[in-house]
Amino acid sequence: MSPATAQSRFAETPAVRRKLRQEAIAKWIFCGMAAAMVVPLVLIVGYLVVRAAPSLNLEFLLEVPKRGMTEGGIWPAFVGTLYLVFLSLAVSAPIGILAAVYLNEYAGDNWFNRVINLAVINLAGVPSIVHALFGLGAFVYAARFGYSIISASLTLAIMTLPVIIASTRESLASVPRTFREACWNVGATRWQTIRSVVLPNSISGILTGVILQVSRAAGETAPVMFTGVVFFKAVERGDLFPYYLDEQCMALSMHLYTISTQVPGVKESIPFATAVVLLGLVVIVNATAISLRVYLRSRKKW
Amino acid sequence: MIYPSPALSRRFFPLLCVATGALAFLAGCKPKTGDVGTTGGKSRTTIQNKGSDTMVNVAQVWAEEYKKLQPHVDVEVSGGGSGVGIAALTKGTIDLANSSRDMKAEEKAQAKKNTGKEPKEFVVGFDALAVYVHKDNPLTEITNEQLADIFAEGGKITKWSDLGVKLPGGQDPIVRISRQSSSGTYEFFREHVLNKKDFKLGSRDMNGSKEVVELVASTVSAIGYSGLGYNEPGKVRMLRVSPKAGQPAIEPSVATTLNRQYPIARSLLVYTLGEPAGETKLYIDWILSDAGQKVVEKSGYVPLRASAGKP
Repeated sequence: MSPATAQSRFAETPAVRRKLRQEAIAKWIFCGMAAAMVVPLVLIVGYLVVRAAPSLNLEFLLEVPKRGMTEGGIWPAFVGTLYLVFLSLAVSAPIGILAAVYLNEYAGDNWFNRVINLAVINLAGVPSIVHALFGLGAFVYAARFGYSIISASLTLAIMTLPVIIASTRESLASVPRTFREACWNVGATRWQTIRSVVLPNSISGILTGVILQVSRAAGETAPVMFTGVVFFKAVERGDLFPYYLDEQCMALSMHLYTISTQVPGVKESIPFATAVVLLGLVVIVNATAISLRVYLRSRKKW
Repeated sequence: MIYPSPALSRRFFPLLCVATGALAFLAGCKPKTGDVGTTGGKSRTTIQNKGSDTMVNVAQVWAEEYKKLQPHVDVEVSGGGSGVGIAALTKGTIDLANSSRDMKAEEKAQAKKNTGKEPKEFVVGFDALAVYVHKDNPLTEITNEQLADIFAEGGKITKWSDLGVKLPGGQDPIVRISRQSSSGTYEFFREHVLNKKDFKLGSRDMNGSKEVVELVASTVSAIGYSGLGYNEPGKVRMLRVSPKAGQPAIEPSVATTLNRQYPIARSLLVYTLGEPAGETKLYIDWILSDAGQKVVEKSGYVPLRASAGKP
């Protein structure tokens, strides 16, 4: 074999150059698409913050709306949203987690459990406006809670329940079966196994799933508008406990909607600042969920 | 070790239970503590108020002002439309329904059937529009159809001579003065005078009721519509309006608005179930008082009495 032949064998042929060119193009297209996904997010957040800038301060958060909601802050709406989110998750998280434990750990493959599964999946796909009408009929009228924080929270709870069940099941299923078998083999019952092996190993995923529902509950307008959130309610500045549970409250999502569409002469930056607060609430909650997961993950030993 | 020690899990599970329970408990207790802090002795009352989107801004300012006077009374205001408020009232779920239309007989029957109480109506203000022209304009009355022909798209009247009017300055084209499209006045005029047709292009669209009257006062060839309460006698004149050609033209006034003769007006109503009592009665009394009526006026509507003195 002459040196010339060896050299030509490893020299770049036109086919290789074409291949490398296509590789580069493909890489840049994929990278461009990934970047394009970030652009709208940056634009949205940037636009909101810039337009909201004149109103963004602590005073805006703590102050109540004034002069026909054209000035002042968003305190009643902010506290209202906190009420609704806490109450709805306090109802849906225990029910959802316990239901998921049953479905994943106890339930065998029979018609009853298939019906439950089907119900959970379908409930997750129901549009929020339908939940709103259900809440109106079930809690406001039939259960006689009236238009109230209770009705609105229960409606939100029903809405978030299937997603909590689904995410909890997923994290329970991610615990390896060998763990359970090892536990059963030393004579533990199913409940003992769940308590000492399954739950501690899946708690990070479960909590993340629950916390992520905060953003959903905080952002929904239709379900709460129908069942217990009002256009306006006078409360005192900075009052942490302004609402009874059988009263109605204000909420950020609904407040944003009404000041953008209904109230004339609102100071221009106020709707944008309201959107920034809502967005900020969701970002903080999601960040908490992620750091909690990272912390709990770090304790896992496999 | 493959899985966390039992000690860790034993710590975790009760923690979860306690946290959930505490959350529920706290949530349940929260308002009670707030109650003690804010009411200062008097028992706290909530008045639920729902209905007309036209009135929701007035109702909101009522609630805001009333809270300053009576901190123990919470008024909850929501919109949705007159129909929404009336529907909620007939089911007995709210205390006050705002409405910019009369309750229908079958709605009253429904309310009586559901709750055993007869809805009671309170007129809390008016939404009446006057048609303004310059003081030197010789025209004194106009029909609804003529107004539609002047303002609506496809309408034939564009010159004062079409109405048989000769202006002192000799100008003939009609300068139409209207409102910006987000205005409730605009919408009301479009619905009740133009029969929901669109406005002709080329009108001067003002951003306030007051500005319409001011521009008419300074423009001889202008015609515009605005609230009854914005009249400036001596600078502009209000036209008498007849609902139909051949019918007598009606002078815009509180009296003709009250007896429903004047065609471009409606009452702003509040309904209660049965005779109002307690805090609800006090609230309605306050709405009907001068303080409450001032809010009506500030919001651009016609109050019950302030307009009584005006022609």
